[in-house]
Amino acid sequence: MRNFTMSALLLLVMTGHVFGGGYQVSLHGHKQIGMGLIGTSLSLDASAAFYNPGALAMMPDQFGVQAGVSGIFASTAFQMKQPSLYQARTDNPPGTPFYFYVAGKITDKLAAGLAVNTPYGNSLAWEDGWAGRFLIQEISLMALTVQPTISYRVTDQLSVGAGFVYAYGAVEMERALPVQGPDGEGRVNIEGSTANFGFNAGIQYEHSSGIQVGLSYRSRIDMEVDDADALFSVPASLSGLFPAENKVAVSLPLPANLDFGLSYQVNPNMMVGMALNYVFWDAYDELHFDFETNTPGLQDSRNPREYSNTLILRLGGQYRVNESLFVRAGGYFDPSPANENYFSPETPSLNNLAFTGGLSYIPMPGLSIDLSLLYVIGMEQEMMYVPENFGGTYQSRAFIPGLGISFSF
Amino acid sequence: MYINKIKHILLFFALTALVACEAEIDQYTPDPGQANLTTFVAVGNSLVAGFADGDLYRSGQENSLANIIAGQLMHTGLGSFKQPLMKDELGFGNRLVLAEVEGSLMPVPMPGTPDPANFANIYQTEGPFHNLGVPLAKVSHLFFEGYGALNPYYGRFASNPAASTVISDAAALDPTFFQLWIGHNDILGYATSGGEGDGITPAISFMTMYLMAVEIMTHNGAKGVLGNIADITSIPFFQTVPYNALLLDDQNIVDLLNHAYSAAPHINFILGPNPLVVADNDHPAGLRQLEAGELVLLTALGGIRNDGWGSQVPLPAQYYLNLDQIENIAGATDEYNQTISMAAETFGLAYVDIRSVLAEAEHGIYFDAIGFNTEFVTGGVFSLDGIHLSARGNAIVANEFIAAINRKYNASIPKATIGSFPGIVFP
Repeated sequence: MRNFTMSALLLLVMTGHVFGGGYQVSLHGHKQIGMGLIGTSLSLDASAAFYNPGALAMMPDQFGVQAGVSGIFASTAFQMKQPSLYQARTDNPPGTPFYFYVAGKITDKLAAGLAVNTPYGNSLAWEDGWAGRFLIQEISLMALTVQPTISYRVTDQLSVGAGFVYAYGAVEMERALPVQGPDGEGRVNIEGSTANFGFNAGIQYEHSSGIQVGLSYRSRIDMEVDDADALFSVPASLSGLFPAENKVAVSLPLPANLDFGLSYQVNPNMMVGMALNYVFWDAYDELHFDFETNTPGLQDSRNPREYSNTLILRLGGQYRVNESLFVRAGGYFDPSPANENYFSPETPSLNNLAFTGGLSYIPMPGLSIDLSLLYVIGMEQEMMYVPENFGGTYQSRAFIPGLGISFSF
Repeated sequence: MYINKIKHILLFFALTALVACEAEIDQYTPDPGQANLTTFVAVGNSLVAGFADGDLYRSGQENSLANIIAGQLMHTGLGSFKQPLMKDELGFGNRLVLAEVEGSLMPVPMPGTPDPANFANIYQTEGPFHNLGVPLAKVSHLFFEGYGALNPYYGRFASNPAASTVISDAAALDPTFFQLWIGHNDILGYATSGGEGDGITPAISFMTMYLMAVEIMTHNGAKGVLGNIADITSIPFFQTVPYNALLLDDQNIVDLLNHAYSAAPHINFILGPNPLVVADNDHPAGLRQLEAGELVLLTALGGIRNDGWGSQVPLPAQYYLNLDQIENIAGATDEYNQTISMAAETFGLAYVDIRSVLAEAEHGIYFDAIGFNTEFVTGGVFSLDGIHLSARGNAIVANEFIAAINRKYNASIPKATIGSFPGIVFP
């Protein structure tokens, strides 16, 4: 039963579609999502364990637990480099990233918590047989992190915290191979998983005037899959060149994040804030496939990605309508980390402009039902994968409603 | 009351989702520019006809250079484009397919019996035809009255096999736009006979007849596109068997061969790769070993493998090209290409430098994330005969023709998607 639950859980997570820059997913709390995904300077509840461990000790309640899930309905469209009439789009299954947080105060100054969520992921399926199938037909990759956290309030205004991050990552991808047999084109399917460690640390300052400042850092974690299965399906006469059951080592960095947040409680009902997320995407310089068995037809391949660091600007706020209702709104601009000459359709990450809204309904003290809605515009841009002369104009849209529940006392 | 408000908000979000959830990129609009593309006629040889894998067969014709271009011109005003299609996949019965023979992959004759209807004239029942690519045709053949009686590839779709000419059949369609890609066979017959059979058409004759063809095709004011001649000696037919293809790994055999040729001291064998021994009437001894830079024909491969050609038996002279012959071919190609580019300029036509395109492909080139080069079989550009283009090779060249038309006439004809055409089929 437990095994079943775990794999069902993973299955759900595996379908998280990329909608943020690169393959980072930032759906970690519906209150934060409602406010443009700001969160670094907020000490709302147990979700601070992820957003800024330094803020956890500042949370108002003694104990909090919360869980939530989002439904990602996303599509990417492609128009081949002109002049061409060729268009294709993705046909993605809805993704469902989730989060779970629990935190409590051990003493007045010391808090501890646990964060479980899915900060990275990418799942997309291009329409079958599309023109870019030799680069990618389908991919799903995800990272599930579990982060035990402690936080300590140094003074009434200043607290610090840190968490240990355990990350589990899984990848599955399929490409077509440009070798044709009587039954169609060859294919390769790569599937593997791995785990690694990292940390998350932060510091929070809260002034009695209502100003809050937070700074947090999540370390880079390299997901190194040493022995993924590489299953080749090719015409029989080429089976010597492409051994059917090969192994491959492939590595993907989960980039570090440096987040700064600033928020201001304007009056008892109104709060506004901003956040700057600096993402160290330059960690992703290439995607390297190192096959266990090489043949004249199957060499290791180094695929340049040449990502650049990005700075995401987020703005948002919330308004307390009455004791049982909060409404929220926000937005952000998340520039693409991808290099326009090394743009691969496996991670069609564009400049994203997003608008968010949300609300919390509080039927009784301590219980909050949180709804969020995120609309992401992946701005149209011409991108090429120069090494293999493939490219065109990409555009994407994502519509992401979310539902969460939090309980605290 | 708040519940009501929430309902409204949710409804608003749901509606937003419905209208804005799908990514959508505006389609681009094709445009013929200054070219009138309503009636398109293609004139040329096997490279235009869709000849591949040693024969002209139905699916090869469907993926012919002319048909791929025509398919794209449909977006800019072309009404119809008719080809003289074979009835089956066997054509005249010379088609090659890949098969595993004794553990190695090689082209072998495709089994089966061709439909006799492939040989019958279909002009009355299916003509006239817009693809006037005639395998084997040289530039002079375009004007050859009764060429259909001589060349069955033309005979099967000529308006009158005993009297009509290819160029008159083309002009009779009153094209608004034409493609002319001819001239390879004026060199190829020489090259594929090792310089021993057919001669190279003299440059002056080529020029006269080429200009005459262009004159006729443009007579009614038609615009068009001309393709130049590729380096014939760079195709897999001449690049697959190296000059030193004789690999010896046994000292006993080396000794035996040296002993056998003891009367010809200029011939020596060593362990490792050895230049092939060839017949050469210009050499005092009548035989010699090949030099680096000389080219062996693909058709010599069977004899080298099975009959001791190049070692026990000198390779016959019609199976290799010496340096002079290679120079003759390069010289003719240069002269023909000067004529073709001059014709394009004089008549105000688009010009495609196919020679450069294929030269670039030699070193490996990507289109739509598919890697190509000019290697035999595995390179993907050439079909199994090592001379003619594959379907994807045709699509690559078609896109070059389209690009040239777009440049010359400020048109915006969409390019073909290379990966949507079939690759070489492996067993």
